[in-house]
This record gives sequence, structure tokens and C-alpha cells, in this order.
Amino acid sequence: MKRKFQKKYLIYIFVLIAFISSIIFVNNNYEFYDRTIVQITETDELERTEIVDQYDNKDVTVTQQITAVIKNGADKGQTMEIENQYSESQAIHFHLKEGTEFFLANDGISVGDIKRDQYLILVIWLFVLILLFVGKKQGALSVLSLAVNAIILSIALDIYIHNSDISLLIICGISIIFFTVLSLVMVSGLHEKTYTAILATFLGTATSLAIAFLAFFFTGEQGLRYEEMSLLSRHPQVIFMAGLLIGSLGAVMDVAITMSSSMFELYEKNNKINSDVLKKSGLEIGKDIMGTMTNILFFAYVSGSIPNLLLYFKNESPIGFTLTTNLSIELARALAGGIGIVLTIPITLYISIYFIKRKQAKQ
Amino acid sequence: MNVLLLLALILFILMALVGGKKGIKSFIALFLNFLVLIVTVLIMNDPNTNPVLLTLVACVFIGAISLFYINDINNKTTLAFIATIFTTLLLLLFIFFITEKSMIYGFSEEESDGLTIFSVYIGIDFVKIAASGIIMGTIGAIVDTAISITSPMREIHQHNPGITRKDLFMSGIRIGRDILNTSSNTLFFAFFGGYLGLLIWFKDLEYSFGEIVNSKVLNGELISILTAGMGVAIVIPIASAITAHHLVGIKDKKK
Repeated sequence: MKRKFQKKYLIYIFVLIAFISSIIFVNNNYEFYDRTIVQITETDELERTEIVDQYDNKDVTVTQQITAVIKNGADKGQTMEIENQYSESQAIHFHLKEGTEFFLANDGISVGDIKRDQYLILVIWLFVLILLFVGKKQGALSVLSLAVNAIILSIALDIYIHNSDISLLIICGISIIFFTVLSLVMVSGLHEKTYTAILATFLGTATSLAIAFLAFFFTGEQGLRYEEMSLLSRHPQVIFMAGLLIGSLGAVMDVAITMSSSMFELYEKNNKINSDVLKKSGLEIGKDIMGTMTNILFFAYVSGSIPNLLLYFKNESPIGFTLTTNLSIELARALAGGIGIVLTIPITLYISIYFIKRKQAKQ
Repeated sequence: MNVLLLLALILFILMALVGGKKGIKSFIALFLNFLVLIVTVLIMNDPNTNPVLLTLVACVFIGAISLFYINDINNKTTLAFIATIFTTLLLLLFIFFITEKSMIYGFSEEESDGLTIFSVYIGIDFVKIAASGIIMGTIGAIVDTAISITSPMREIHQHNPGITRKDLFMSGIRIGRDILNTSSNTLFFAFFGGYLGLLIWFKDLEYSFGEIVNSKVLNGELISILTAGMGVAIVIPIASAITAHHLVGIKDKKK
């Protein structure tokens, strides 16, 4: 008992040290960057002009004079002056304030990227700490499985970049096997309910992908605006399909494990449970989760388009045009993911019943 | 035929087949939520409105549609609703703070190349827009976690009416811990899938590690994912506490 107690404190101390040292590091890591970093010491507003664009939108453009001190490299400690122009809506350029650190752009005289690493690490830590605090051991496992999945994804993408002859879909298909097995085993251990969920996830993902493929094939992908996928360096269609596959995986796994663990729990409470009763209870659980699960995917995808929607509306683009160009890809993802979620319900139901029946027959 | 219509039709048929009446309701709720989102964005067009407040109002509607319309008004949905609103409010403060500090609002340098034909002087505060987007991305997951906690807690209370407030709260927390992992996975894979193109783009253009971790796009995405994860975790104690407080009356309060 005492030993366990000490171990717990050791973990807390370890986390605390890691937290503090990483925060100190990112706030003092200037020398690790090749690009010049400066910190703003003073800002002066030089000029302020009210403007009205061709669509009658009112905005204000401001020019500010910035005094900044160089934080790294040969000129460390020297001060410099830069002019920065922004609009009050801050759609592209920022209103810079005292204390902000940023990288100088390549020309050496204008504002480049903001130094954001110290905030990113803060958010990462806050996330980890909240998960550990609320979830204890399960929270730690969640963080771990996220980290492992991110590493798998990164390795998979590296393989893809360096071997472009291998289709991204095949690479993602193989990664999905790793994602699913690792995540589900971490959630619920080596147990029959886990195997059921793994099998159901594979079947659910494969069937929903097949349905999406058929739907794309029969409609000739009419209505999908690939050209609006931003930041693309590769063939958009492949990236879209691969994204579809990975994007719905989490939700499908969630449905599969939720259903299989409840059904195995029913069986453990009553070993002789009739398969009709099982089917009925399983279906009830499925009905309960399908609405909220499809909602998660929908909002996770569509919310990112809000700034673009506003930009289009403000530039007087017609509403139908705005919605189709900005949302078609996201909606297709959410709908295909929803199909995966709903299909996984009966799939998990029947696989669970099959395994439970086999166990009952063995008794 | 439009591919989106076909996919929506397939989804509707599947939901009706698997879920019956409730499935049809779930589909309609999805559609209604879509309408709420679009109407919210349309109202945001007016520069005199506050996008963050609008988003909060939208979240109230989304919560009501997802909980009350699909499951009727009863104490488990009402409690989940209160927990959702409370969590959203709490998260909003943090989101607003971090969005402003880390300057992840507006369009990134990479995106703005494709937007040259547009006027960006549109008089809307992009700090607030960014915060609104992050909140919207989280709301679905928060609602889902909230109802997954309050619903079994009510069952537990019905089976053991004598349970103390603290025990009921702890069973809520335990249920929450069990779903924490899968809920955060759902969110993370959704974002991974959505930004697969971006990740490949970074690798193709050989961005250095320093450029990637300071870029606006990646920070924007990661901060959205992580705050959504935080929301899913924070709603667990909130929903458990509210439910325990409501179901176990003051007179049974024994700590």
C-alpha cells in the first residue's frame, strides 16, 4: 500500500518536472531557430484610415510602427524598427501588441510567422493534465494512445511521400489495422469484447468505404468541389478518400466498443441470456448513440468552414454557390462517416451475438 | 444525381432501418443542426453582432435539438443539457484567451494565396470568428459525452435509491473515464482525416520542424483538437456533479 502511494507521488513529481522544464524551454529556445526572432517592445500607431470595399463592407486599416529587440543570432540584443499594416478585422494581418514575439520574414524587414510554440506546448500540457486529472489511468491511456496514433500516422505519411507508387489508400488501410488494434486493446484490454469490436470496426469501415465509392461512381462525383480543398500538394481525390477512411475510424471504433462491451456485460450478468433479448437490448443502445455520434463528426468537420463562409458571404457570393463550394467536401465526409457509424451498429450486434452464442454452446 | 443527396439518402435509409422512429428523428436532428449552423453564420454577417454570443445561442439550440428532440424532455436530457451549456461557457473563456494569445485567427499565409480575388476588408472580427469555430467543433462531442453520463447515472440511481451523493458522483466519474478514451479518439481521427491533406502538404514542401510548430494552420488545428479533447474531459465531472446533486436530495446528503 505504502509502495503504491510512493509510486503515485513519483509520477506526479515526474509530470510536474516535465511540465515546468518544457515551459521554460519553449520560452527560451530562441537560439534553436535559424530564423531571426524579435520581440516587440513598443508599438506606435502611425495612420488610421477608414475604408469601404466594393461590397460596402466597412473596415479600418491601421499602420503601426513597431520597435522590436532581436532575440537570437549574431545581432542578438539589437533593436530594430518595422512597419506593420493590418485591418481591424485581422483577416490576414495582425494587430501586433507589446510583448509578442515573431519571426522576421525572409526579406528581413517585415513580419513573418508569429512565434506560437510556447502557446502550443501550454495547450498540449493543459490537455494532458486535464485528462490525467479527470481520467487517472484511463486518461493516461487516452493520451498515450493519441500519441501512438499520431506517430503511426506520421510514419505512414513518410512512407507515402517517399514511395509515391504505393497508393495512399493502401497505406491508410494498413495504418487503420494498427490504429484499430492498438486503440481498442488500450481501451478494453485483451478480451473477447475487444476482438468483437476490432472485427466490427474493420467490417464497418470497409462497408462504408465501399458504399461511398459506389455513390461517387454512380453520380460521377457530381457536386463534389475538390478544387476547394485548400493546401493540397497531391491529387485531391486520393487525399479525400484516405481522409474519409481515417476520419470516420474513431467514430466507428467508438460505436463498436460501446456496443460490444454492453452486450458482453449483459452476457456476463446472465450467462444463459437469450439471443433475441440480446439483439433487442443491443439495438436499443445503438439507437441511443447513432444520433449523437453522427453529430460529433458533423460539427468537427463543418465548423472549420465558418471563416470561409463569412468571407464568401461578405463578398456577396450567392448563398447556394457559397454553401456548395465551401461545404461539399466536409458534408460528404460527415455523411459517409455517418453511414459508417450506422452500419457498424448491426454489424457489431451480430458479431457479438455470434461470439456469445459460441461461448454459450461451449458451456 | 448530386453525390451529397445520394449519400444523405443512403444515410437516411440506414438510420430508418436500424433506428426506426428514433433513427428518423436522429436524421432530422442532424438536418436541423445544419440549419442552425447556416443561420448562425448568416447572422454573423452583420458586423454589429457578437459572433461569440451568437455561437453560444446556437449551442443552446444545437443542445436542445440533439437532446430534447431525439430523446424527449426528461431529467436525464435536461441534466445533460445543463452540463453541456455549463461546459461550453467554461471552455469559451479559455478558447477566447488562447485564440487571441496564439494568434491563430484569420486566414493563414498559405490559404490567403487562394483568396486573392476576395476583399478581406470585411469588418468582421476574426478573433471572435475563430473562437466561434472552435466552440462549434466541440459541441457535438460535449453533448454526446454529457448524455452518455447522465443516462446511466439515472439508471444507477433508480436501481439503488439509497445511494449517497458522493457514491453516485463517483459512479458518474467512472462511467466518464470509460468513455473518455473512445470519445477523444473519435475527435482526433475526425481531425486527422480532415487535415490529412495539410499534413502531406507540410511533408511535401519540406517545412522544417520549427516552421511547422509555429505555423498558423497547424496551431489552429491542434488547438481546436486539444480544446475539444479538454471539453470532453471537463464535461465528465460537471455532468456527474450536476446529476448527483439533482438526483440525491439535500436530506440524503452524507459525505
